Amino acid sequence: MTGNGTITETQRDEAGLAHAHEAQLSAALARCAAGDHAALQMIYNSEAPKMIGIARRILFRQDLAEEAVHDAFVRIWSAAASFDPHRGSARGWLYAVVRKPALSIHRNEHRYDASDDSALDIDCEATVTRMPETSALRQCLEGIDRPRRDVVVLAYVHGMSHGEMAGRLKVPLGTVKSWVRRSLFSLQECMG
Amino acid sequence: MSMRDDNTHSTDDLAADYVMGLLEGAELAAAETRMTDDAEFARAVSAWRERLADLDATAEALAPSAALWDRIADSTRIKPEIPLPGARAALRGATLWDNIGFWRGAGIGGVFTALMLVVVLIGALATSRQLRRELIALAQRKPIYVAVLVNDATKEAGAIVNTFSDGRVELIPLRPIDVPAGRTLQVWTLWDRSIGPKSIAVTSQSRTLQLDLEELPEAVPDQQFEITLEPEGGSPIGQPTGPTLFKGNAARAL
Repeated sequence: MTGNGTITETQRDEAGLAHAHEAQLSAALARCAAGDHAALQMIYNSEAPKMIGIARRILFRQDLAEEAVHDAFVRIWSAAASFDPHRGSARGWLYAVVRKPALSIHRNEHRYDASDDSALDIDCEATVTRMPETSALRQCLEGIDRPRRDVVVLAYVHGMSHGEMAGRLKVPLGTVKSWVRRSLFSLQECMG
Repeated sequence: MSMRDDNTHSTDDLAADYVMGLLEGAELAAAETRMTDDAEFARAVSAWRERLADLDATAEALAPSAALWDRIADSTRIKPEIPLPGARAALRGATLWDNIGFWRGAGIGGVFTALMLVVVLIGALATSRQLRRELIALAQRKPIYVAVLVNDATKEAGAIVNTFSDGRVELIPLRPIDVPAGRTLQVWTLWDRSIGPKSIAVTSQSRTLQLDLEELPEAVPDQQFEITLEPEGGSPIGQPTGPTLFKGNAARAL
C-alpha cells in the first residue's frame, strides 16, 4: 500500500490536489467578499506569480505586469462577490481578472509596432506544445492549420488586436478577422 | 436558419471575442454590461474561459517584487464601499455616484442645511441660559420619593404622593373620592411616631395637590402618607379622627 504509487495513483493525487486548491481559492474569494483581508493575501501568495507571468506575456515589462497585478487584486477585493463558483473555476476567474488591466495597459501604453523587439520573442508553437498532450485545447488547436491557429495564441496569450496581428502576420485585416472567426468555430466544434 | 439561431450565434461570437480580448471601446463596454445583466452571455463567456484555460496554465510563474503586496495592501486596506466608488460603479453599472444631478442637488441641499444649522446654533446660544434652567427644572421634576396610597380593605390604589428634590410634594388622586356634604379630605404625613401625624393638606375634593411640607423635615424613606375623611375645615384636634381612606409609605424612586 505504501511507497508503491502507480502512475494512475499519482495522477489521481494531482487531480485531488488541484481540486483541493480550487476549493481553497473559491473559499478565499467568498471570504474576500465578506471583507476578510487575510484571504486576499492567501490568494496573492498562491496566485500572484502565475498572474505576473500571464500579464508579462501581454506587457513584456515586469513593472507594467506588476501594475496589472496590482489593479487585478484591487478588483478581486472589490468584486469577489461577483465570482460564481457554478459559472467556472476560481482560478479561471482570477486569470480573467488579471487579463483585463493587462489588456487595458497594453492598449494604452504598449501597442506593438513594427520596430518592437519584444514581439519577436513570441513563439506561438512553443506555447501550444507547453500544454500537456492530454489537453483537449492543445489537440484541437493542433487540428487547425498554421498560421490560422496562431491568431488564437497571439490574441489570447499576447493580447494582440486584429490590427496588430495583421501587421505581424502580414495579411489584410479582413483576413485576420476571418481567421479568428474560423479558428474559434473549429475549437468550439472540436471541444464541444 | 431561424432568427433564434442567428442571435445565439452572434451572442457566442461576442462572448468568444470578449474572452479573447479582441473587443475595444464601446463594444467592450457593452459586453461588460451584458456580463452583469445577460445570463446567457455570461454563460457563453464562462464556457469560452474554460475552453481556453489551458493556455493560461502555460504562463511561467514569475516572482513579483517584494513591494507589490504592500502596495496592494495599501490600496485594499478598507473594504471598498467608500474608497473605490468608480470600481463599484463599473461593477454595478451606473449608480448615484455617476449622477451629476444627484450631487448638484446634494450640494445645494448641503449648503442650505449648513445655513439652517448656523441659524439654529445662534438661537441655541442665545437661549442657552434658559435651556439650562429648563434642564435643571426637568431633572427636578423627577420625584425622589414615591408613595402609593392604598385602601386597606379593598387594596385599591387611591392616590400617589411624589416628593421632589426641591422639597415640593404633590398628591395625584387615581380615582374620584366621594366626599359627603359637611366633610373634607385631609392629607397627613407621619415620619416619626414619637411626634405623630402632621396635617399637610385639607381639600374638599379629590384633585392634584401641591402639598406644603416646608415646615416639616425633608421626606425620608418609609415616611407614611394617608388620606382621611374629616369634618369640614379639617380635624379639630390636629390628629386624624375620621376613617383612613388610603395610606402608603414612600419609597425611593429609581
